[in-house]
Amino acid sequence: MKGTMLEGSELVKAWWEQGKSDLCPIYDMHGHMGPFHSIYFPRGDTEAMIHTMDAAGVRLLVFSHHAALFSPDIGNRLSIEAVRRHPGRLRAYCVMNPNYPELMAQDLRAFEALCPDVFVGFKFLSDYHQVPLTDIRYRPVWEYAEARGLLVLAHTWGGSTYDGEAVIQEVAARYPHVKFLLGHACHGHWDAAVALARDFPNIYLELTAVFDDRGVLEVFVNEVGSDRLLFGTDLPWFDPHHALGVLANASITDEDRHNICHRNAERLLMPLAPEVIG
Amino acid sequence: MRFFDCNVFFGLPMQRPLAPVASAEALLSEMDRAGIDCALVWHIAQHDAAPQVGNTLLAEGIAPHPRLYGCWTVLPNQAHEFPPPEVLFRKMRDARIVALRAFPESHRFLLNAVSMGDLLDAMVERRVPLFVSLRRGSTWPRIYDLLADFPELTCVICDHGCWGEDRMFRPLLARYPNVYIDLSQYLLDGGIEALVDAYGPDRLLFGSGFPESYFGGMMMALKHAEISDQAKTAIAYHNLARLIAEAEL
Repeated sequence: MKGTMLEGSELVKAWWEQGKSDLCPIYDMHGHMGPFHSIYFPRGDTEAMIHTMDAAGVRLLVFSHHAALFSPDIGNRLSIEAVRRHPGRLRAYCVMNPNYPELMAQDLRAFEALCPDVFVGFKFLSDYHQVPLTDIRYRPVWEYAEARGLLVLAHTWGGSTYDGEAVIQEVAARYPHVKFLLGHACHGHWDAAVALARDFPNIYLELTAVFDDRGVLEVFVNEVGSDRLLFGTDLPWFDPHHALGVLANASITDEDRHNICHRNAERLLMPLAPEVIG
Repeated sequence: MRFFDCNVFFGLPMQRPLAPVASAEALLSEMDRAGIDCALVWHIAQHDAAPQVGNTLLAEGIAPHPRLYGCWTVLPNQAHEFPPPEVLFRKMRDARIVALRAFPESHRFLLNAVSMGDLLDAMVERRVPLFVSLRRGSTWPRIYDLLADFPELTCVICDHGCWGEDRMFRPLLARYPNVYIDLSQYLLDGGIEALVDAYGPDRLLFGSGFPESYFGGMMMALKHAEISDQAKTAIAYHNLARLIAEAEL
């Protein structure tokens, strides 16, 4: 690469030349694991994902196994097993599927027992489970997270009646102590994402699938601030090197890159997993 | 590492994007910033307005810039809106236009032998590449139908999306020897490595999808793909350069 974007940034140079930087560890705050029916994953198993993380300098991945999201028969078991095999590299979100309140109650007890060694927050997939974030069935989990100031990562999509800006606004206001990570940053409705982040200090914009839309990153950095943005790739979906290339190419500063890649996540995770952050 | 981007446009879309790139000069400035050597480009008016309008804007825009190669848009020609293939190819050569695009869904026609047989037969004979985009104006069934009619066509499938469309394009790679895959939006972790392992590096073309996507994303992904340097070089630059050189205009 001979582009001028390399000039003046040792971080970008390191990413380009080595694929990672020791000075800028990555905390990927939105991952998955295992097969999913609609896509072929060359690197979908745990060990292959760790290989990718090593190559791109990803220190920690916080994830939810596809089985936890889509197979209530299995639930969070495979997430738990993966974290136990790689406690220095993985933490899990405890997936809550409100279509099965009886399983949610079990999952909440499991969370109580396994946080923070395995779980560091909850994951809601409302668009797919077809239950709005505001639905009463989610309430026990929201209230549990609110009382403890926990992380909740929710898939969010602009305009969705399940997890779009209107329902986000309602739950963000109702649960101000939840650290509310908007997965995909209310995708497509970028102005709404900016407004939500400005209105609610407990909201963070997570960047999975945002990296492929040129210009959004600069809007978020300029209008929200890089201290409210979180790196994410949906691994094993998206190559983290692609995300690093976007962070290198975007018109943002190295301070912004450090905030997005690790500082914000370190701040959120320090109370939960200090041994991983080091 | 040199990059020849196969999937770039400039011009102002009908609906304003966050970061439009209005001119060839603005495009070149962004290419310099990222480190892109050359690009095969089209003008958004070819899709949004009309091929006749956009093709002219494209030719005028790239004329002063030898790093930019053009890709015109075509339509069925029963109404003689375009010159016949031999004349079209000569005009392409004169304007540094080296490939063609079609947007059958957006432009309301069928991309098949009945509608476009004359041109597509000539493109096969002259090895003129046809670019089709899953993001704009094409669908997988249309592409499957097209290649069933023209199995020797040099066809580059672009913008196939972030859902890892391997199950859609791998059957085409396996069956049709002149099908190529543009990497833009192929974000799949390990995807480049798996494709090179299965089909070799010669069927993949580096593309960014700029200006809707950043150049840097796929550049970095390719740079750090776990494939040989020779394979990276082929994908980043030489495969597209070869396709252009093979076209007999």
